[in-house]
Amino acid sequence: MQDIRIKKGYRFRMAGAPSKELASLADPSQVAFLPERIPHIKPRLKVAEGDAVKIGSPLFEDKRNPSFQFLSPGGGVVQRIQFGPRRVIQAIVIERDRQGEDRVQFASISSRELESIDRHRLVAHILEGGLWWIFRQLPFRDLPDPESIPPAIIVGLSAKEPYQPSPNVYLQDRIDLMVFGLNVLQKLVQGRVLVFSNGDTPPPDEVVAVLTHQVKGNYPSDDPGTFLYHVKTSAAQNRSWFVSGQDLILLAQLLAQGQYPVDRIVSVAGSSAPKPQHFRTRLGVPLAHLVDADAVDGDVRYVVGGLFRGYAGDPLGFMGHYETALNLVPSGSQAEFLALFRPGINKPTYSRTFLSCLHPGPMVYNCNLHGGERACIACMHCADVCPVNILPHMAYKAILADEVEEVLAHGLLDCVECGLCSYVCPSKIELTRTFVDAKAAYAKDLAV
Amino acid sequence: MMMKFIRDFFDGQRNKFERGGPLVRWQPFFEAMENVFFGTREVTQTAPHPRDNLSVQRYMMLVIIAVLPCLFFGMYNVGLQAFQAAGLPLSTWPVFWFGVRTVMPLVLISYLVGFGWEIVFAAVRKHAISEGVFVTAILFPLTLPPTTPWWQAALGISFGVVIGKEVFGGTGRNFLNPALTGRAFLYFAYPVQMSGDAVWTVVVPKVGQAVDAMTAATPLVVAGAADTSGSVVHILNKAGYDFSTLFFGFYPDSIGASSALRCLIGAVFLVILGVASYRIVIGDIVGVVAMGVVLNLFAGEHAMPYLSMNPWYHLLMGGTAFGIAFMSTDPVSAPHTHTARWIYGFCIGALTVIIRVFNPAFPEGIMLAILFMNVFAPLLDHLVVHMTVRKRIPNV
Repeated sequence: MQDIRIKKGYRFRMAGAPSKELASLADPSQVAFLPERIPHIKPRLKVAEGDAVKIGSPLFEDKRNPSFQFLSPGGGVVQRIQFGPRRVIQAIVIERDRQGEDRVQFASISSRELESIDRHRLVAHILEGGLWWIFRQLPFRDLPDPESIPPAIIVGLSAKEPYQPSPNVYLQDRIDLMVFGLNVLQKLVQGRVLVFSNGDTPPPDEVVAVLTHQVKGNYPSDDPGTFLYHVKTSAAQNRSWFVSGQDLILLAQLLAQGQYPVDRIVSVAGSSAPKPQHFRTRLGVPLAHLVDADAVDGDVRYVVGGLFRGYAGDPLGFMGHYETALNLVPSGSQAEFLALFRPGINKPTYSRTFLSCLHPGPMVYNCNLHGGERACIACMHCADVCPVNILPHMAYKAILADEVEEVLAHGLLDCVECGLCSYVCPSKIELTRTFVDAKAAYAKDLAV
Repeated sequence: MMMKFIRDFFDGQRNKFERGGPLVRWQPFFEAMENVFFGTREVTQTAPHPRDNLSVQRYMMLVIIAVLPCLFFGMYNVGLQAFQAAGLPLSTWPVFWFGVRTVMPLVLISYLVGFGWEIVFAAVRKHAISEGVFVTAILFPLTLPPTTPWWQAALGISFGVVIGKEVFGGTGRNFLNPALTGRAFLYFAYPVQMSGDAVWTVVVPKVGQAVDAMTAATPLVVAGAADTSGSVVHILNKAGYDFSTLFFGFYPDSIGASSALRCLIGAVFLVILGVASYRIVIGDIVGVVAMGVVLNLFAGEHAMPYLSMNPWYHLLMGGTAFGIAFMSTDPVSAPHTHTARWIYGFCIGALTVIIRVFNPAFPEGIMLAILFMNVFAPLLDHLVVHMTVRKRIPNV
């Protein structure tokens, strides 16, 4: 096992960290699949409103690659299909059958069978089981081509983004499944399966036994892209795949038990969360099931996912399939009197321009922009914080000038979309948004 | 109470500046004024959801705070030099008050004219007012001799803000330091009022006396004209410019630049807060001292005596300290990479000494050195970026 230290990034002192307590929630009456939140696919519906579905029966597929099947996380009736602007399919909502949900049965694979199974059959199992979405390919984080063989598969067992579920919580009692999952991955890859965890607070010994790397550092050292940037030795590794720790458990459950898995461990956190902790619940759970809206005070933003990559969710909406966190923070839409001149003992900042840099305790972060948009003044904070050594202020200008070669040379595709450059920018320039959009545009160019 | 009054005032005026209101063109002015009293109410539209509390406004305000010691000491020193020259009693408050009356008009003119241009450009271009102009407008008058005519101050700040900055797109897009651009314009356009021995001390008007100028050679001129009768430091001492006078700044010079101590305080403040790049500041100082040491090597009996001067004196005399602390650290006109900032700082320091020592037409070198390196900053960036990018494992 190797130790890696990633120096850049940013350590947050954010109030509202979830406790290690894990509570099981009763099943919600509805669950949903949000096709909109699966990047780079074109969904084609296979159900209509009112259809009966089982856990594991197909809801939609990808038009470009129909072998990508997306299965129902609940058994019952398709209650509604919600469309957004330009007919984007936002949500397929399933009203669960109170009497008990039916399940589609899949073939299970024992550990012994796994040893002798060939890659092709294994891939067919996973595709049929509707879990191909757990694999994503760097740098675009889209679903990989099942025929392609990845140079490496990265499994991240670390959570540094505020606030994702702690691996120590979601791996509890499920380490056998994790090991089984890793064996599955080993069959899919030509190179190595790279497993890394947080080196600052190491996981239990059984987990340490399967690690290839321990990574010390601040957010986003937990990101597979950051990790790859720091371990890669050649350009051939750029198209590695990655699987998140919890998704690996899903894969292991599908293959070991022959059932489409629907369990999720979700962290509910943030300074406005009534009781920040972990919950065992279902895939595609309604947000209202996780947080009692009456217990939330004031003007609060529901962020589905971490605070740096997630999206602002409707309190009446659902969790996406990739998202395992719900963070509640004050929306901060009030203008503060003399904000410019306050010493700011509890105003969080990356810089040293407020007294908060001497403040050791956790602070409340809100969603206020804290300033107007201005031209870049080359404060260099973005370059200081970028975990993959991009010069964001330069790359940004290259994107605006449409210099594709130049921005690729700057390392646009190494960008892990962590959001830190936008976070630290005093000119409030949407750097991360620009990079994400530029990457998506380039991915589209490549796909044609 | 106070807050509510101001809040109501702004809310009452807001509709005049919004779409359809009579003053809609001047909306940037309204926004800038409101931002002085209130933070924004805007929230993030996209991830990342929280944003840093630091804004450009705060960044610029901290620079202004760092300059204040220089400003207040400058006021006192202007009065002190004038009273000393006139032989008046040196009690603190009259001296300071005289300085305030001399300096304040220049500062106010600088603010009114500079900010005026910014509003005009913001209104025409329909973008927000950038707070950089508040820094430019306080730095510019501090680089002037206290006897500068008011109209020249207005002209200088206009040139600096318009030609040095706005024609390129405003703060963040300028490649020259606007305050120094304005100062350099005055220096070359009106050399009589900007250089020589007679402009650094204000004449205290006295009844029945027709003196219109006080002459006193500045330390730079004394050092430059030093003959071989003794060491340069010795000659400076004899002229009244000993180490502590130069360090504390009690000598005739530009309004804000005389005191190396106040500049040091400002620079340390900005570096600790991370607003000024320590790379530039250290690079500057190393550059000055290194070039001074190199010149020492060439000093000898038949060489120019100025070559033999103790290198640290270059940091004390004239505007070097002020330029290092507040002008070279302007992040926009400096290079935009860390490595290039070391080189940039070093070159500024070295060039300053070279210009001072070898060019008798320019007793002070820091202004030209900074402007010169401003022009070279993009080239330094280009080289550094090229080298950094080559080290990456390609990902296309």
